[in-house]
Amino acid sequence: MRATLAFLTGAALALGSIAPATAAEIVIGAQCDRTGPTQTVGTNLCPGFNDYIKLINSKGGVMGHTIRADEVDNEYKVPPAVESYERYKKEGAVTVSVYGTPQVYALTQKLTEDRIPGTSPGFGKAAAADGTKYPYIFPIAATYWSQAAAAVKYAKDQMGGLKGKKIAYIFYDNPAGREPLPVLEELQKLEGFEMRTFAVPPPGVEMGAQVLDIAQRYRADFVISHLFGRSPSVAIKELKRVGFPLKKVIGFVWGAAEADVEAAGGYGVAEGYSALEFAGVGEDYPVLKEIKEMYKKEGKPEPKEMKESVYYNRGVFLAAIHVEAIRNALKAKPDGKITGADTKAGFEKIKNFTLGGLVPPIEITPTDHEGGGLVQVWQVSGGKWVKRTDWFRAYPEVVAKVIKEAK
Amino acid sequence: MIHRESGLLKTSYQADMALYPLPIARWSVAVILVLAFLVLPLVLSEYYLSIINLVSVAIVGALGLNILVGYTGQVSIGHGAFMSVGAYTAANLAVRLGAPFWVSLPLGGLMAAAVGAVVGIPSLRIKGLYLAIATLAGQLIIEWTINHVTWISGGVQASIEVPRPSLFGIQISSQRGMYFFLLAFVVLAIVGVMNLMRTRVGRAFVAIRDQDIAAEIIGINIFRYKLLAFAISSFYAGVTGVLYTYYLGIANYEQYQITTSIDYLAMIIIGGLGSVQGAVFGAIFVTLLPIVIRTSMETFGGLLFSSGALLNIIPNLRLIVFGLLIIVFLIVEPEGLNRLWRNIRSYFRVWPFAY
Amino acid sequence: MFDWQFGVLLLSNGILIGLMYSLIALGFVLVYKATDAINFAQGEFVMIAGFVVAVAIAAYGAPLWLAVAVGLAGMIGFGFALERVMLRKLIGRPVIAVVMATIGLAAVLRGFGPLVWGAGTKSLPLPIPEEPVVLGPLFIPPIQLVGAGVSLLFLAAFSWFFLRSRRGIAMRAVADNQQVAMAMGINVERYFGLAWAMTGIVSALGGIVWGNLLGVDVQLSLVGLKVFPVVILGGLDSIPGAIVGGLIVGLVENIAAGYIDPYVGGGTKDFAPYVLMIVALMVRPYGIFGKAIIERI
Repeated sequence: MRATLAFLTGAALALGSIAPATAAEIVIGAQCDRTGPTQTVGTNLCPGFNDYIKLINSKGGVMGHTIRADEVDNEYKVPPAVESYERYKKEGAVTVSVYGTPQVYALTQKLTEDRIPGTSPGFGKAAAADGTKYPYIFPIAATYWSQAAAAVKYAKDQMGGLKGKKIAYIFYDNPAGREPLPVLEELQKLEGFEMRTFAVPPPGVEMGAQVLDIAQRYRADFVISHLFGRSPSVAIKELKRVGFPLKKVIGFVWGAAEADVEAAGGYGVAEGYSALEFAGVGEDYPVLKEIKEMYKKEGKPEPKEMKESVYYNRGVFLAAIHVEAIRNALKAKPDGKITGADTKAGFEKIKNFTLGGLVPPIEITPTDHEGGGLVQVWQVSGGKWVKRTDWFRAYPEVVAKVIKEAK
Repeated sequence: MIHRESGLLKTSYQADMALYPLPIARWSVAVILVLAFLVLPLVLSEYYLSIINLVSVAIVGALGLNILVGYTGQVSIGHGAFMSVGAYTAANLAVRLGAPFWVSLPLGGLMAAAVGAVVGIPSLRIKGLYLAIATLAGQLIIEWTINHVTWISGGVQASIEVPRPSLFGIQISSQRGMYFFLLAFVVLAIVGVMNLMRTRVGRAFVAIRDQDIAAEIIGINIFRYKLLAFAISSFYAGVTGVLYTYYLGIANYEQYQITTSIDYLAMIIIGGLGSVQGAVFGAIFVTLLPIVIRTSMETFGGLLFSSGALLNIIPNLRLIVFGLLIIVFLIVEPEGLNRLWRNIRSYFRVWPFAY
Repeated sequence: MFDWQFGVLLLSNGILIGLMYSLIALGFVLVYKATDAINFAQGEFVMIAGFVVAVAIAAYGAPLWLAVAVGLAGMIGFGFALERVMLRKLIGRPVIAVVMATIGLAAVLRGFGPLVWGAGTKSLPLPIPEEPVVLGPLFIPPIQLVGAGVSLLFLAAFSWFFLRSRRGIAMRAVADNQQVAMAMGINVERYFGLAWAMTGIVSALGGIVWGNLLGVDVQLSLVGLKVFPVVILGGLDSIPGAIVGGLIVGLVENIAAGYIDPYVGGGTKDFAPYVLMIVALMVRPYGIFGKAIIERI
C-alpha cells in the first residue's frame, strides 16, 4: 500500500514538472518511433534530427534563439501521438514533426484547427501535397504518389519501355501500402503495362507464397516493392531464394537503408537491389562533416547512428527544413514571438533548399507542400549503396491529376 | 467511524433498491460529480484535460470489456475490432448522410453490437482459451474487411474524416468542450453498467461466469445470454470507437488493432475483474502509465544518463515497466486495484477502532 | 488453367514453412501440457534466444557451436529462473492470470531485447547455403529444410520422452492431476521447471532457425502470433497436434495466398487459417488431437 502511495506521489510530482519553454527558446515537437514496428528507422532518424538541432544551437541558434526539439516516442500508436501533440501545444511548439502515417491522419484536423504545421516526409497523406486543401500538413518530400511515379519511370528506363511488360507491385497491406494504387493504375492506363498486386499482410515477416507467385507463376518482368519495417529485408531474401534477379526490383523510400540490406543477410545477398531515396546516402556531405566536427570538439566519438546514413541523413534533413522554416518566420517577425501560423508561412517561403547537396532543391509554395517530389535511385553494388540516377521526378501531370481527384 | 452505516431505516422499496443507499456514498458521488463537472475544467489546463479525455474514452471501452470478461467470464481479444466497427459506421453515417452525433453514436454502437453477437456465436461450443483465439480470429477478419472493402473504409487510405460534433449549434472542438462531451458519456456508461448488473440479465451473466453448467440446469439459456453479453460489450466498444473518432476527427482502423485489444484486457485485469470501479481504475492506470513513466524518467533520468542514450532508454524502459507492473500486480494482488481500494476503504470504515 | 507446377511449389513451401511454425508451437504445447499455463510470450522467447546467439556470433566472434551452446544454456537457465520467480507464485490462479502474466512478460522481453542489444537487425549466419535447392519444379530454400528437419526431430524426441521415459511419464502425471502426483512422491515444482526449461530448448532452436530466416530483431517476436491457430487446430496439449496443426496452417496460408488472394485483392493468408480454425473448433471444440476436458460441477 505504501508503495502505491509513493508511486502516486512520485507520479504527481513528475507530471507537474513538465518544463515549459523558456524565453527566447523555440520548441519543435518531434515524434519518433523507438519501440514500435518501425524502430529500425526511428532509432537512426531521430538521432539525426537531434544532432542537427545540437549543431545549430552550438552555432548560436537561429538568429539568437536556441531551438529545443522535444522528442517523444509514439510507439507508432495513435493515443501516444495525440498525447504528445497536446504536450507540444502546451510547451508552445511552433512546428511538429509527425512520425507515422496513421498519426498524420489522426492529427490532421487538430493541426489545422490549432494552426501548427506538421511535416510527414516520405509518408503520410499523399493528398496533402495540395497546400490549399491541407494548409497545415507539409509532406516536404516525395509522397507515395510521387514515389510510385518515379518507380514506374525507373522500371521503364531499365526495361526500355513498358508496353506489354508485367509489373508486380508488392506492398504492405495497410493504408500506407495501398496509397500508391491510384497512381499506379493511372500509369498502367497511360503506358500500357500489365500489373498485378501482391499484398503482404502485416507484420510482413512471411511472404513466401507471394514471392513464389511473382517469380514462378506471374513471372513478372519488374517488381515495385512498397514495404517497410522488417518486410523489405524479408522480401529481398525471399526474392533471392526463388531466384528472382534483384536488379529488377525497385523499393520505395522506406525499404532503402543499410539496415534493410544488413538484415537481409549482407550486401552480397542484396546485390542489385535498387531503391528510391529522398535524401542522400553516405557520409560525404558538408553538414554531416560539421556534425562530426562538433562531436570531435566535445571529445566524443561520432554517433554510431551515422553509419545508418540513409535514415540518419533523413533525420538531419528533416530538422534542417524545420529550422529553415523557423528562420523564415523569424525574419518576418524579428521580435522572436513566432506562432505556428508564422512557421507555416515560413515553410511556404522555402526555395532552393539543398542542405549542401544532401537533398534535391526543394521549393515549397502555398499550393505545393510537397516541394517537388524529387527522388534518386541508389543501388546495392559491390558491397555498398551506389548512386544510379540524379534527382528526378516523373509523370507530374498524372500525380497532379490524382491529387486533384483526391477527397 | 467517519460515517454511520447502521440505523438507517428505509421506508419504501425504491429506497431499498437505490444505487447508493448510504448517505456517505451519496455525498461522495455528489462531490465527485461537482469536482468533475465544475471544478476541474476550470482549474486544469488544456494539456491535462486532453489526458483526461484519453482516459475517459478508455474508461468506456474498459467498462464494455469488463461486462464480457469480468462479469460473464468469456475472454475476448476482439475488442479493438468492435471499436473500429463502431467508428467506421458512425463516420460513414456522418459523412455520407450528414447524421449528427446523437444519431451516429447509437447506430455505431448497435452495428458493433450486431457484429459482436456474430463473433460470439462460437461461444456456443467453445470455451476458455479456444474462445479467446476465436475472438482473435474475429478481430483479424474485421480488420481485413475494413481494410479491403472500400465502401466501408472510404478509400484506399481507410480513413474517414468526420466533422466535429455540434450540440445546439455549438461546435465542440477544444479540449475543454471535448471534456464535457466525453464526461457525459462516461457517466452514462457507468450508470448503465451498474444498473445492468442489478437486473436479471446481470445476474445471469455472473451465473454463467461462475458455473455455467449449473446455470443451464436451473433454466438460464446460456447461449442467449452469452450472445447478449457479447452484444452489450460490443455496443460499449462501438461507442468507444465513435467517441474516439469524434475526439480525433478521423476514423482509422489502424488504431484498433490487436495491441489495443490487449491493452484493454490489461486495463480490466489490473483494475480488477468484475467490478465497475475496477474497470475505471484500470483504464486510468494503463492510460496514464506511459505518460508518467516518460515524464518521471525525463525529470530523474537526466541525472543518470546522457540525453542521447536516454531517448533510447525511455521507450524501452516504458515497455519493461509496463510488463513488470502487470506481472507484479498479478502476483501480489490478483484482484487488482479494486481490491487495494477496498482494503483502504475497509481500513477507514472502522478507524480508529480497527479492532 | 490450373498451373500444377505453381501448385506444387505452393504445397512444398506450405509444408516446409508449416513445420517451422510447428517448431514454435512445440514450445507452447510443452508448457501447456505440463503446467496448464498458456504462454503468450512464446514469440518473445524465440526472439531472446535469437538475440543471444546472434550477438554471441557477431559481437564476441564465437564460433557457431559455441554460440548455439550459449544460447541453449541461456534459454534453459531462463526457463528455470522464470518458473521459479514468476510462475510458481501463480499456481492455482485462474487461467487469465497466467495469460496476463505472460503478456506482461512479453512486454518486458520486447523492451529488454532492444535496450540491451540495440534496435538494429542482426543477422544470424548459419553454414547453410542461401541458394535454393532445385528439385524438378521445386525451389526449396535449404534453411526451411533445416527448420522442418529440426521440427520433426523434436516431434520424435518429445514423443519418445513423454511415452517412454520415466520423467516424461511423471510430467504427464503432473499435468493430469497435480495433487495425486504429489501424493505419489513426484516433485511437482521441479517438473514445472523442467517443462519451462524444455520450452527454452525448443525456443533456442526456433530462434536460431527463424533468426537465420528473418534476421534477429524485435519483430522476430511476431512469429509468436502464428502459434495460436496452429495449437488450437492441433489441440493445446498435443505434440503431434502441433506438427499437424503447423502443416495445416502452412498449407492453408499458401493456398489462400496463391489462389484466393488474386480474387479478393490480397491479404487473406493471414486470417484464412483462423477461419479454418473456427470451423474446426465448431466440430471439435478441443482441436483435432486435443484432450477433451470433462467438466464436473
